[in-house]
Amino acid sequence: MFHASKLVLAHFWVAFVAFLGAILLGEWQMFVRSPLAQWVNNPEHYYRSVTAHGTVMAYVLPTLVAMGFGYALTELSLRRPLIGLRWAWGGFWLVVLGTAIAAVTMALGKASVLYTFYPPMIASPFYYIGIVLVVVGSWIWVGLMTVNLRAWRKANPGATVPLAMFGNVAGAYLWAWTSVGAATEVLVLILPASLGLTDTINAGLARVFFSWTLHAIVYFWLMPAYIAFYTLVPRAIGGRLYSDTMGRVAFVLFLVFSMPIGIHHLFADPQVGAGFKFVHAAMTAMVSVPTLLTVFTIVASVEIAGRLRGGKGVFGWIKTLPWGNPMMLAVTFSFVMLGFGGAGGIINMSYQLNETIHNTQWVTGHFHLIFAGAIVLMYFMVAYELWPQLTSCGPLPPGLMKAQIWLWFIGMMVLSMPWHLVGLLGMPRRMAYYDYSHPAIAPQAWTVIASTLGGLLLVISAFILVYILAAAHRRPKTVPAPFSFSAMAHAGGRTPVALNGFGLWVAMMIGLTVVNYGFPIAQLAMLKEASVPVIPIGSR
Amino acid sequence: MVKPAPREHGMYAWANPWFRWSVVPLAVLTIVSMLVGFVWLPSVHGDFSAQGLWESICRAAGVPGTWTPADTSTRGAPPSTDVVLERRMALSGANDAVGRGATLALNCTMCHGAQGMSSSNAPNLAGQYPEVVIKQLLDYKSGRRSHTLMQSLARNLSHRDIEDLAAYFAYLPKARTAPTTYDETLPALVRVGDPLRNIAPCISCHGGVDQKLGAPWIEGMPKDYLVEQLGAFKTGTRRNDSQAQMRNMARPMTPKEIDEVAAFYARKASAGQGP
Repeated sequence: MFHASKLVLAHFWVAFVAFLGAILLGEWQMFVRSPLAQWVNNPEHYYRSVTAHGTVMAYVLPTLVAMGFGYALTELSLRRPLIGLRWAWGGFWLVVLGTAIAAVTMALGKASVLYTFYPPMIASPFYYIGIVLVVVGSWIWVGLMTVNLRAWRKANPGATVPLAMFGNVAGAYLWAWTSVGAATEVLVLILPASLGLTDTINAGLARVFFSWTLHAIVYFWLMPAYIAFYTLVPRAIGGRLYSDTMGRVAFVLFLVFSMPIGIHHLFADPQVGAGFKFVHAAMTAMVSVPTLLTVFTIVASVEIAGRLRGGKGVFGWIKTLPWGNPMMLAVTFSFVMLGFGGAGGIINMSYQLNETIHNTQWVTGHFHLIFAGAIVLMYFMVAYELWPQLTSCGPLPPGLMKAQIWLWFIGMMVLSMPWHLVGLLGMPRRMAYYDYSHPAIAPQAWTVIASTLGGLLLVISAFILVYILAAAHRRPKTVPAPFSFSAMAHAGGRTPVALNGFGLWVAMMIGLTVVNYGFPIAQLAMLKEASVPVIPIGSR
Repeated sequence: MVKPAPREHGMYAWANPWFRWSVVPLAVLTIVSMLVGFVWLPSVHGDFSAQGLWESICRAAGVPGTWTPADTSTRGAPPSTDVVLERRMALSGANDAVGRGATLALNCTMCHGAQGMSSSNAPNLAGQYPEVVIKQLLDYKSGRRSHTLMQSLARNLSHRDIEDLAAYFAYLPKARTAPTTYDETLPALVRVGDPLRNIAPCISCHGGVDQKLGAPWIEGMPKDYLVEQLGAFKTGTRRNDSQAQMRNMARPMTPKEIDEVAAFYARKASAGQGP
């Protein structure tokens, strides 16, 4: 690392401290609506907590990790100092300021609208201003990634962009375009209503704009984890990356297909036509392709590690894998959770099957398993990989790391599997309490207790994570070994020009968005009857 | 010997196979899914395809030629109210509006009391949220809420009269001694409702957890009035709640529960008032 160490550390620390607070809120929510506790007296407190938990986990944590990891990747993969360090600090402080403003507003009970921006429920303007600052801070990061890549290209004409940087910039471009939907919703529709300038709001249009962001944001969260799969995992376990090209194809497929699919979140919304719902469902199916490519490539890369260690036969290589290596454990658990979560996701995206689980606990279970499980586990691994570089702390304690990874995996499975089950039985999400004394749902009570216990394991795991990272700062300084990325199995291959740049893919991303969103947005924007009175939350 | 690299075309060149093989399949995928979503799937639904292909495509796009069938006999009952609640209705009125409202309110004193505090079983109006008074008076005026006396009194009020009356009553001090807040001692229906019967807690709209626009404050209201209104919502004789929210709450409630809830709110009166 050149001069971005402090910057990257600041991003990760703010992310993980916020994460620690939010995970405690999550466990409290689980506890108060389990049969272990009395019904929460004031359901508003529950929704306030959901808002804070979701805002931190969905906006603050992944944005800061993507930004911090992005800055680190820029220096580590391009092997030159980050350009625009001051701007990067500016972006960081905007995110911190925005988080603080939103947090105070939420704590005062002026923003208990849950973290999805679905009008006509409207929070205090300070909540939205806080979120906008977080997004603006992240746009500075997008700009810096572009500037750094350009400068590197200028200095290395015709050279192939390192895979890590390629994925990083793909993530940045994805985020830039993704965030336009919610930004438009907040700036054009919500803030005027929240500031009291208008009494009504076009709720249908606002929801369509939010769906623009809502699904693609998931792939922005996922990018750091996928970059780690391709560029860190094979190296960490002593394997080779099976295909660099496949990694690039996966990244550009995410660019193209994660955008024009968000209406699958609005299957139950009457304002969008059935035709568009079907088209979005079909395109959502396509977004499983880059994930399947990734699973194939990474499993192949892992197999190389097993064979290099003397594994023979069809399955013999599995036995020889370095199971004592934290990264091996993490990637295995991550794939298991990605598998279950992905299978659940295919049910969510199917226009018809979705009817059975729409707005049930199944959905909560799905996104916890796939994001908080498969993806966030890789965020931890990224921090563990970077920490020796950032703090010169030497190797981190593998035993504690493995305990943390095990707890996170078991905790997440125990938390989210019961949610899937009761979701199928019809338990709605976002309820502050359930009447377990009623014979109709008494048999489901144990599942909520199970989830509470799973949540407890996650809390313990989170504290171990923070302990490992904090203790590293106090250890004697050593000179870190030079950082390296995965070596390729077939070195020296030529990267096609299309996979060394983004022009074509960004054009396809924007084009497909216009095709899939243009008509619903234009039609709803022109529909006068779509405006409804706003419902300000916590205003009296 | 190093094999010479094949000639590389520009990213956007048709000769570049990456360009061809990404743009063409994407276009095909888009067109095919559009055809399936807008033509094929709607064709198997009678209500989509009844009026021809173009109408079917329009319906799939979310813009049917007509939103409601021309035959009005299938439409439901008349709307429950004509009033759309707007936030500006909740603003406190200017001084002259309050003064004018005070004069007009002399007509109301017989039942609602000299200071908006009823000594009969008519509702207290002192301190009531202005949009509540506006909405109810407008509903009486249009006949959406029925009451022999109120309908004939409201018939002659202008829109301004109604707003001024609302400003005046909102200006009067509230009767409640302490606002309802959530604590263990509240009856279950008031505090947490009954989720399995779809009864929301009273305090999530009527103050305590949240105070929704258009929901009156009801602490200290005469018990008989509350019982009567809940009964009217339950049977559907009163139906001016715009989203049927009160009809849906009251319908599953038993007479005993109605009595309990009404007694709870009626007890929260100021010291000078009877239960």
